Amino acid sequence: MKKKVKVLKDYFDQKRIHPAPLAIFRILFGCLMLVALIRFWANGWIFNIYIEPDFHFKYVGFEWVDDLGQFTYMLYALAIVACFGIILGYHYRLAMIAFFVLFTYTELIDKTTYLNHYYFTSCVAFILCFLPAGDYFSLDTRRKGLKITTIPAWMIDSLKLFLAIVYFYAGIAKINSDWLLQAQPLSLWLSSKYHLPFIGGLLQLKWVHYAASWSGMLYDVFIPFFLLYPKTRRIAFVFVVLFHVMTKIFFPSIGMFPYIMLFSATIFFSLEWHQSLIKKLKTQLQKITVFLQYFKDTNKFPLSPIAFSPKGYVLPLLLFFFTVQILFPFRYLAYPGELFWNEEGYRFSWRVMLMEKKGYTIFKVRDSINQKTFYVNNADFLTPFQERQMSFQPDFILEYAHYLADHFTQQGHQNVQIFADSFVALNGRPSQRFIDPTVDLATQKMSIKHKTWVLPFADEIQGL
Amino acid sequence: MMRKTILLSALLFIQCASEDEPMDVDNPVNTGSNIDTTSTPQEFERNGMLVFWVDNIIVPAYNQLDTSLFTLSEKAAAFTENPSSTTLISLRNQWLATYSHWQYVEMFDIGLAEEIYYKNRMNLFPANVTRIENNISGNSYNLDASSYFTSQGFSALDYLIFGAGENDDGIIALYTASDLNYGNYLVEVTDKMIDLTEQIKTQWEGDYRDTFVQSTDNTATSALNKMVNDFVFYYEKGYRANKIGIPAGIFSTSPLPDRIEAYHGEVYAKILALEASNAVYQFFNGIAYNDASTNGLSLKDYLDYIEADEDDKLSGRINAKFETAKNKINDLNANFKQQIQEDNNAMLLTYDAIQSNVVLLKVDMLQKLNVSVDYADADGD
Repeated sequence: MKKKVKVLKDYFDQKRIHPAPLAIFRILFGCLMLVALIRFWANGWIFNIYIEPDFHFKYVGFEWVDDLGQFTYMLYALAIVACFGIILGYHYRLAMIAFFVLFTYTELIDKTTYLNHYYFTSCVAFILCFLPAGDYFSLDTRRKGLKITTIPAWMIDSLKLFLAIVYFYAGIAKINSDWLLQAQPLSLWLSSKYHLPFIGGLLQLKWVHYAASWSGMLYDVFIPFFLLYPKTRRIAFVFVVLFHVMTKIFFPSIGMFPYIMLFSATIFFSLEWHQSLIKKLKTQLQKITVFLQYFKDTNKFPLSPIAFSPKGYVLPLLLFFFTVQILFPFRYLAYPGELFWNEEGYRFSWRVMLMEKKGYTIFKVRDSINQKTFYVNNADFLTPFQERQMSFQPDFILEYAHYLADHFTQQGHQNVQIFADSFVALNGRPSQRFIDPTVDLATQKMSIKHKTWVLPFADEIQGL
Repeated sequence: MMRKTILLSALLFIQCASEDEPMDVDNPVNTGSNIDTTSTPQEFERNGMLVFWVDNIIVPAYNQLDTSLFTLSEKAAAFTENPSSTTLISLRNQWLATYSHWQYVEMFDIGLAEEIYYKNRMNLFPANVTRIENNISGNSYNLDASSYFTSQGFSALDYLIFGAGENDDGIIALYTASDLNYGNYLVEVTDKMIDLTEQIKTQWEGDYRDTFVQSTDNTATSALNKMVNDFVFYYEKGYRANKIGIPAGIFSTSPLPDRIEAYHGEVYAKILALEASNAVYQFFNGIAYNDASTNGLSLKDYLDYIEADEDDKLSGRINAKFETAKNKINDLNANFKQQIQEDNNAMLLTYDAIQSNVVLLKVDMLQKLNVSVDYADADGD
């Protein structure tokens, strides 16, 4: 026991590593985010998702986060500027913190657009705020006149650990009866890709769905270990590339996710790989005239090398962050009922591509004084994207019900009651009534407490 | 390393390619055949379904509507030239026949029809009576502008031949007085309907048919997915809401009997609703427009293909609900206005019967078909 504690202490106190992997990670992350933000903008999603909707679905505790109208574009413009700061390592710390705050703010505006890889991005950005990724192979080195030669190994390992958590948790979430025994939802999704050239026919075969489900689960659970172990790293990365390329082919709508995971995995590569890549990059950069002066100057005024030591709060803070990361996905255990059905504790848990869930939910408004009722046309209040997401997620349904109650009260209706007529189908099962139609949702409080008005799931899904 | 990876991916693709049989889109299967008759399990012929839709349902329905509209225009001309009780009744009968034919076309809101807002120009109701009267009394108007969509099409004709005067004599008097312009407007509205229908018919007869039947991909813009979405949308909006739900007061605090289809004719809304329910049924089950005994590949077959292992088939449950809804409509008063005023509950029950199939079509069917409707990135959670 004592020995183990000493090993751990030595690891945190003494084990040090060259900062090259951190610099490469910084540049890759900055470039990916730059592309992601520009793509988001170019697709018109800033307008469609943040500005156009009349109201936003909020995260509990972040109700104060709202879109800034046309100024929402400014948030993105600033985040794009921050990306350049990150890539070039120019005022890196400021750029990284700005990126983290801006990106996370936009994500918090509306949970309709929640994606695991947006959450991943925010988490990585958070970690990067505390790492000296801008003090090597960057413009800051020249600005400050110094470059770091070593950093504590746990700094780079924290990024590896985070990626490992993401993969591993995504993997164990797939250990459930729908995924492994029914090959759902992959069976539904893959067979609908009949139009893909060459592989469309193959995707119709039942065994292919099972093979994809099982290999997907095994991949997610084991890939972090194979990436960590030097002897298997090469072949593991081949699998990373294959896996993510395939997911991009099968599911084009997953956007930037494959690229982010693919390039992030390079953090596992050896120090030599990173150093030789930096060397190559330097040679290439020197060919570009604008950088010529920079490299000349650094040769003339050599940067003073320093061994980097972080501030005292960084390690405890990251330890706390990781404790939360490890425990948070298990919060679903605190709720009764089926997780996939109630979605209590579903988000922020690396549950990716686990469900094909479709819903149909309409609302009956009742004026309890004059007893008159009428149904709401959802399209009057929600964008198609919001309506689709709202239809099968209980917290969305409740929030929207409250919005409707407020709206119709303002219109002069009295003692407004809201009832949901809601049906949901999960992973290819027949649709089933989802919300208790006799419960007045306007009287139900919005909280993270268990929602008793969601009708129980008629089937059972075994697993983690 | 990268190079090796790319090589590996290429190898994988080549291997897959050798196992795949490309779909033959140029030589679609005999459209009369059914998937069940094939001896070995094989890929569902989506292309064959689209071919059947176009050749046996969509185009024949357009042809029928077109012919019917020409007859209508003849009757309109006959009535205008010689306004009498006989010509008026003859015109009304033809209007009902054409309106019935229309019910088989409205759901095909795709291609040019979608671009020119065809369905809104043919059958937006209720008609804007004030605007129609203004148009007739000499104010300038433009039937191609969206603000005039409610003063043309079947609902405008409904007003012109049933509601323009106090009674039949009153109507005939309006058309007899040549300075009043009613006849000209009647003919103009009819001509417009012919013009629009001809445009769309021409598109289907041209290259569009081949583009359509080959667009079988599962993408948000493919003809297959758009058609499935159009069908579900029509069921929910054009059929469920417009014909039953809105007049029954589902979306308002009290019933709105003046929102029924063919309001001025009063007694035709039920006939039209029954035609629409039949149109939906035939499309879902792949029944040829001209010949109820000719079957082809359909959404039902597609669902049955996907649910080959299921005993309780979704298609069976959907068809059962079609039947229930049809029977409910059948039990209603031919005069929906009267039905709503005297016993709206029967109307509400009819609505519920139609509504319960919206869930099966929109949730269960779309999940089984996995028809993609992409709005933004999604990672399946």
